[in-house]
Amino acid sequence: MKIVIGQGSCGLAAGAGKVFDAVSEELKKLNSDIVPGVVGCIGMCYLEPIVDIYDDNGALHRLVCVKPTDAPSIAAALCGDLDAVKSLEISPEDSSFLEKQYRIALRNCGIIDPCSIDAYISVGGYSSITKILSSMTPEAVIDEIKTSGLAGRGGAGFPTWFKWNAARQSVSDHKYMICNADEGDPGAFMDRAVIESDPHSLIEGMLIGAYAIGAEEMIVYVRAEYPLAVIRLKEAIKQARERGYLGKNILGSSFSCDMRIKMGAGAFVCGEETALIESLEGNRGMPRLKPPFPAQSGYKSEPSNINNVETFANIAWIIQNGGEKFAALGTPDSRGTKVFALTGKIKRGGLVEVPMGMTLRDVIFDIGGGLRDGREFKAVQLGGPSGGCIPASLIDTVIDYKKLGATGAIMGSGGMVVMDEGTCMVGMAKFFLDFTAKESCGKCVHCRIGTKRMQEILTRIVEGNGREGDIDLLLELCTAIKDGALCGLGQTAPNPVLTTIKYFRDEYEAHINDKKCPAHECAALLTYKIDADKCRGCTLCAKNCPVEAINGQLKAAHTIDTEKCIRCGQCVKLCKFGAISIE
Amino acid sequence: MSKIKFTLNGKECFAEEGEFLLGAAQKNGIEIPNLCNHPSVKIYGACGLCTVEVAGVPKLLRACSTKVTDGMVVNSETDRVKHSRKVALELLMSDHDGDCVGPCSLNCPAGTDCQGYVKAIAGGDYHRAVEIIKDKLPLPASIGRICPHPCEKKCRRQYVESPISIAALKAFAADRDLEENTYAAVPAESTGKKVSIIGGGPAGLTAAYYLALKGHAVTVYDAMPKMGGMLRYGIPAYRLPKSVLDAEIKLIGDAGVEYKNNVKIGRDVSFEEIKDSSDATIIAVGAWKSSSMRVAGEELDGVVGGIDFLRQVSLYNSGEGDAPVIGDRVVICGGGNTAMDACRTAVRLGAKEVSVVYRRTRAEMPAEIEEIEEAEEEGVIFRFLRNPAEFVGENGKLTAVKLQVMELGEPDASGRRSPVAVEGCFETLEADTVIEAIGQSLDFTGINGLEYNRRGNIVADEASFATSIEGVFAIGDATNRGAGIAIAAIGEANRAAAVIDSFLNGQMVSYKAPFVSERRLDNIDFSVYNKKDRVSIPKRSAEIRRNDFDAVNLELCEDAVKSEAARCLECGCHDYSDCRLIKTANLLPIEPARFDGKKNVHKTEQRLVSIERNNSKCILCSLCVRTCNEVAKKSILGLVGRGFDTVIKPEFHNDEIIVGCRDCHLCVDVCPTGALKLLK
Repeated sequence: MKIVIGQGSCGLAAGAGKVFDAVSEELKKLNSDIVPGVVGCIGMCYLEPIVDIYDDNGALHRLVCVKPTDAPSIAAALCGDLDAVKSLEISPEDSSFLEKQYRIALRNCGIIDPCSIDAYISVGGYSSITKILSSMTPEAVIDEIKTSGLAGRGGAGFPTWFKWNAARQSVSDHKYMICNADEGDPGAFMDRAVIESDPHSLIEGMLIGAYAIGAEEMIVYVRAEYPLAVIRLKEAIKQARERGYLGKNILGSSFSCDMRIKMGAGAFVCGEETALIESLEGNRGMPRLKPPFPAQSGYKSEPSNINNVETFANIAWIIQNGGEKFAALGTPDSRGTKVFALTGKIKRGGLVEVPMGMTLRDVIFDIGGGLRDGREFKAVQLGGPSGGCIPASLIDTVIDYKKLGATGAIMGSGGMVVMDEGTCMVGMAKFFLDFTAKESCGKCVHCRIGTKRMQEILTRIVEGNGREGDIDLLLELCTAIKDGALCGLGQTAPNPVLTTIKYFRDEYEAHINDKKCPAHECAALLTYKIDADKCRGCTLCAKNCPVEAINGQLKAAHTIDTEKCIRCGQCVKLCKFGAISIE
Repeated sequence: MSKIKFTLNGKECFAEEGEFLLGAAQKNGIEIPNLCNHPSVKIYGACGLCTVEVAGVPKLLRACSTKVTDGMVVNSETDRVKHSRKVALELLMSDHDGDCVGPCSLNCPAGTDCQGYVKAIAGGDYHRAVEIIKDKLPLPASIGRICPHPCEKKCRRQYVESPISIAALKAFAADRDLEENTYAAVPAESTGKKVSIIGGGPAGLTAAYYLALKGHAVTVYDAMPKMGGMLRYGIPAYRLPKSVLDAEIKLIGDAGVEYKNNVKIGRDVSFEEIKDSSDATIIAVGAWKSSSMRVAGEELDGVVGGIDFLRQVSLYNSGEGDAPVIGDRVVICGGGNTAMDACRTAVRLGAKEVSVVYRRTRAEMPAEIEEIEEAEEEGVIFRFLRNPAEFVGENGKLTAVKLQVMELGEPDASGRRSPVAVEGCFETLEADTVIEAIGQSLDFTGINGLEYNRRGNIVADEASFATSIEGVFAIGDATNRGAGIAIAAIGEANRAAAVIDSFLNGQMVSYKAPFVSERRLDNIDFSVYNKKDRVSIPKRSAEIRRNDFDAVNLELCEDAVKSEAARCLECGCHDYSDCRLIKTANLLPIEPARFDGKKNVHKTEQRLVSIERNNSKCILCSLCVRTCNEVAKKSILGLVGRGFDTVIKPEFHNDEIIVGCRDCHLCVDVCPTGALKLLK
């Protein structure tokens, strides 16, 4: 019997720490010598806390939504009474969450103990670096990555081998291998999960890259908002150094390389590689002009290569299994797998890794289980604030850099925010513009003032003050900002607006021309009405209205003063007779 | 280093290997707009104005950071580039909270630099003040006395307590200048071109002055015995002493203008004769015909036109004619400035009872409030809500005016309440003379090929002042919308002179009003100013002044003048003439109002030793930050905050860092706009 408890940030937030303590306590009481183990995140965040029990036959019993009060049953199960946890076991339907996935970057997440280098080694970890140091030249490594067709998973989708090769070609005594772990897209959390759940795969991936380009120093730029990831990565670096995977003459070879962590202060733009370099150097996080590209002149003006966490998490697997095996997955344009973070109105929210070439429908409906509460699928926002929305009519779009790009959205870092019919698309666009306008570094005019003006226009539209011509004005700003902004943040900031106008122009028009929000989400555009036939005059709504906007005598139909009404929705929730409607 | 070839806007250009496009373009004589670039600091790429299209590259590239490669084909003026640049400029200006020029200047039809000359006056430098004024207006002593001063109506000091007395200051400075050390601009060398101007009023004289300064031979023809037009024959001497006008007209003559009086076109010389003997002809004949009220009895002896009356009095005052016989009871019809001039003149001629009849109320009178008050003081009776229905006479001689009683009805489109007749309600007012002062129109017809509009005024292009006849221009009261105030005619004349000069040089360039930045009133905190009363202009008492035509206003004392001038808030930017931002903003037809929204408004602060920083004007090009960092090696300034709220401040909000400033002002030198100002 063996028990492991998922303790990624998602699990801990759902109470896994308390479950862990309660189970440990219970086992102690029973004088059991079983000690609960720690794993990271398996991806089914919606079922956390998750407890995995392996019986003596090695069969897995996965318990979900576990509470500390379930500890006695779990202890009983560990003592042989597996029926005690029958009610906690995952349903067959939920088990299917993992079935259609193909896990490479997430291969060890939720399975091994992230705090143990031995756990990583036991699943073949560090065999790839051992292999290349004994038998592969840097060029051969780059060739293998080229064969795999791996492209940057941070958002831009640039071929990884090409960047490595460029950095390899740059002549210098000091080169840097940098990991971008400044995962800032709202709704994306795969990088955090990898570092928290499998930090050694990041270290090994970076080491392979460092060997390939000829770097002796590796830096992980991680956001300070990921404290658990930092703790686990620090521990992993320590362990790797102790075992000789980091430091001088790694595994006895002539290759020396070490690693350090730099914590970011939380600026979204620092996920942009040149801004990241500025920040690494201690400057204000603002993008630099390209060229020169980091491969020629990056950190400290030395050749530097920057990839994101998920990209590195694929590397050791590719070396271990061969580039061709990776390339066999996916489509001709997009090889391998991609991790997506499913959030929003989806039934099963979490992290999934699927081969490229699947459709959005496969991911959202087959794996994600469709929408919560039987709501209707309206659109999915892909790629966070830099991405775009894809409407229900394009749900069969294949996951592939080119095909997704053709819709106006982007693959991005893999955030998928699922929306139902109750989501206002203008409000959604405004949400992302609020984000980018706030996160603009303020350097270039197009982004600093342009996104602000777009945000102002969107604000007036959702507040019912939209003007004729506002859509065209937005489109004009979109074009100008895409053309004129200095870095990716600004250049892609218009995407949510462009795609929502492209697919949901009628919603914009309804806001501007009819002062209506078809999704009933924009408070300023809603009218609350009481149906006189249904109202019994119970006065409950009137008594609870915070602004005394409801009038009426006892046992007589009430009315709402729309001038006073602040559209808080309190009355609708309270009415027992369904007499209040929103228009 | 070897030379490489590239193409820019279709032109073959050369550059050094490794050179950036922006500099290379400049060396090849093509300016690509930019605001954040400076040779002394590293490339930055913030302003986004220098974008260009490079053949084969889908994205727009920044010329400041793009190296020229051999055979590169670049275009810096495509529609896509211009659109991007236009939007960038509009965005920049939408967050630039500053006044390029003061609202006084902006509201002056002639665009005189009020703030500039008021400042010179505050410093006691009247010569310099007149030099500044005469850049736009050659008759400051005259205009200073009679102008209804639109400048003062927009003066921001009114939001503290009351506007600066700009017109009186101007008159004072111009008077001093006439007394001694009189300013005289030096005309350019003769061009050999001949310009004839028909009409020697404010418009004609102004155009003559500026064209003469450009070196053209200018002759002004006028039908009257002396130059000055309406300034002489329309405005009474108690407002503008003719000796002042004479002195200023003489100065214009001194600039090389030839005057020919008593020449009436069509009588003494034909229009064609003048036109054919000139390289350019300007019609500036004014509007000399009193408008008719179309009231029965208008033909009676004793009914006269307002400007006809004023002209006759003016000729009489200068000894060139007889005094008009007006009797004891004079009725003036109308509520404008001409009506005020007429009624006060009638008082001075000795009429016992002078009435002004106006169909609306005092509040709706178009005349200047000072004029109305002064008329009241001088004993003029105002009869409001009355409209002449008939002029009654006996034996062809006027005896009375029948007045229709009016009331104010609903507001019209302009918001003014229209007068409506009260059915059947009339009054009779006995009168010896009626003066119709309701308007004036053009009295200049019979020119072959000259186009007139429906109002009977000459059609002149608003931007070039060209008429339907090649080489003939028209300005002032005679054109388009008809009669206006003198300073408006002077403004047209000044702009026309520049257009005509370009026409004479072979390439006519129409006038285009420059785009300027203006602050929004609600962004200004007026509470920071201490209140200080506006100077009151001493006047002769009504009892005395009503008996003669001597000036009503007395001269201000110099101390009062200086202290009044010192009240100026100096709204206009110190950097306007050198501002790279506004120069660049004028390269394209921008409309920043499209992007009106929040502006970053900051208090002006003295941040560094002798430098005043106004972050409201800052465009975040960061040249000051980078210069302090890279050139001065002091790193005192930094960018603070993010996104739209980003602002330049001492690094890390640390005010103490300022002690490191060595007052080198390099930051001020590189600032492309007026955000930084040297205080010494």
